[in-house]
Amino acid sequence: MTGTSAFFLRREDLVPLLEELAETLEVVAPVLVEGEAAFATWRGGALALDDKNPLASPMEFFLPKKEVLFRYVQYSGRYTFSEDPPRARLIFGMRPCDLQALKVIDGIFGAELPDIPYAGRRRSTIIVALNCTSPGEGCFCRSMGSGPGAEGGYDLLLTDLGRGYLVEPGSPAGVYILRAHQRHFEEADPEDQREKERLLALAGEEIIKRGPSLNPEKIREAIDGVDWEEAGRRCLACGGCSLVCPVCHCFSVLDQGVPDGERLRCRDTCILSGFSRMTSGANPRPALGERLRHWYLDKFVYIPEKTGLFGCVGCGRCSRVCLGEVDRWSLFKEAAE
Amino acid sequence: MKMDRSKKEADANGGTKIGRAAGAKPESYLPIQAEVVDIDVESSNTYLLSLRPMDEEDELVAVNYSPGQFLMVSVFGLGECPISIASSPTREPLQICVREAGKITQGIMAARVGDVLGIRGPFGNGFPVGSMRGKNVLIAGGGSGFATLRSLINYIADDRRDFRDVTVVYGARTSQDLYFTSEYGSWQAAKIEVGITVDMMDASWKGNVGLVTSLLADLDPVPGTAALCGPPMMIRAVARDLLGRGFIEPEIYISLERHMKCGVGKCEHCTMGRYHVCTNGPIFSYDVVGDLI
Repeated sequence: MTGTSAFFLRREDLVPLLEELAETLEVVAPVLVEGEAAFATWRGGALALDDKNPLASPMEFFLPKKEVLFRYVQYSGRYTFSEDPPRARLIFGMRPCDLQALKVIDGIFGAELPDIPYAGRRRSTIIVALNCTSPGEGCFCRSMGSGPGAEGGYDLLLTDLGRGYLVEPGSPAGVYILRAHQRHFEEADPEDQREKERLLALAGEEIIKRGPSLNPEKIREAIDGVDWEEAGRRCLACGGCSLVCPVCHCFSVLDQGVPDGERLRCRDTCILSGFSRMTSGANPRPALGERLRHWYLDKFVYIPEKTGLFGCVGCGRCSRVCLGEVDRWSLFKEAAE
Repeated sequence: MKMDRSKKEADANGGTKIGRAAGAKPESYLPIQAEVVDIDVESSNTYLLSLRPMDEEDELVAVNYSPGQFLMVSVFGLGECPISIASSPTREPLQICVREAGKITQGIMAARVGDVLGIRGPFGNGFPVGSMRGKNVLIAGGGSGFATLRSLINYIADDRRDFRDVTVVYGARTSQDLYFTSEYGSWQAAKIEVGITVDMMDASWKGNVGLVTSLLADLDPVPGTAALCGPPMMIRAVARDLLGRGFIEPEIYISLERHMKCGVGKCEHCTMGRYHVCTNGPIFSYDVVGDLI
């Protein structure tokens, strides 16, 4: 094996390959958890790859819902701190939309004053991405430019060709895996590459056929046109959208334990009423409609200003969980094309 | 030596970029440890705490900041909250002024001399002290917002010849709520005009009663640059008054307060439209935030 262009992995070789990788790394992959596909530590056995992209995104392994920032131990009035080192991890089956989310978060957590826990996890995680050849209902990655095919941001990229996977490296770490486990790979046929292009084009058409796409250029205008007060009455303020959004990253920090304990970082969301409320009681965004508007403005205006990328990757998860009909389809009919 | 360096740092930091002190690692969530070395009672519910970093490598944190910047202050077990720096980098020690508001501020105020608090920072842009030099300066504060302005006033007082006419107007609810009363004399001695007012009259008070804007009518400050901190209603009234006097929007700087969890532009609690108050602020000019406050 000398080239670094494209390889072929037979379907039956996937699990043995992951088993080998799992000897030295924590392997995270879509598996069935209580009957539902979710990214979780893979402990051998079946993968849940036939289902749509799991509702719980793999961002959990970069920005966990709950993590210990550090532990503090007090001794005669002074403190000693300890932090956990990041774990060496491989995430298998990350979709192009979630790869794009990672690029957005890189622009926020990796920029200016980099977030050390995030940067540590980012460095110690190998990403094996999976192109979307069978997009889910409500996916609109094509509108957001994040899929169905991945463009960079992975160590290895797999495309399901039916009888096996086309495997393309995207980084030295990816090439290393190909070489270290070369008995599972064979040189890809030029026909495999064409098959990949054909499947992705089909997937793209499928996304358009299933529902209207969103025109990001029209979104700002659409946001201005929404009656947010009315939307606020429909929104249940459950925060479900933020919980499943791979780009949402609001967090809260709290201490647990006296005199020794942990400083925890937990997911939070700007949808909740207490999010911006100050101790004095003053609240810059007291109305739910205002908070909902901010949620969308951040994704479609502020994050693009900051990172050059949309804060929405078109994964469609927020629409899957929204019970209040304040998801993008209900709100931005005008921006649909 | 120390003063020169902190002056340069403060001028360079102020209003332009994110404050960064040698020794401190702003991107880390690990605080440095600082010992409470002195506690002054400013009012019935407000203490001025003097802090000294405990590790030699963190010593620069106590002088490398600019007026208007803030610290994330920790009481381990209760949590962390943003507190503006009340001292000037031209004078040690590092001081924070804390008013009892919630459980963390209560925890800070329960600290005694010798106790250890965690600090991270300094964070935020600070007042643009470099560009304020050579100009008339009007400083207007209301309530606990005066703490961050005291940093600026002492900074100017220690370098007084670099600034033209300097006027301070400050209002509190009652005379018992006025901060830093022992320092007004030293400011006046440094040729800083000082106007003080309270909302409510009491037996011990012989001074002005009324709004901060009434002081502006009396003192009639010459247009120049302005630094404001206080309740939103006071900020709006003072800014309107100053605009009427010929001050211009980009020269009216406002220090804003927001709920914060990280101080480094990640947690999103302090967002105000497209701005993060922690990294883009807390000092904003009126032309930028006038319609947001």
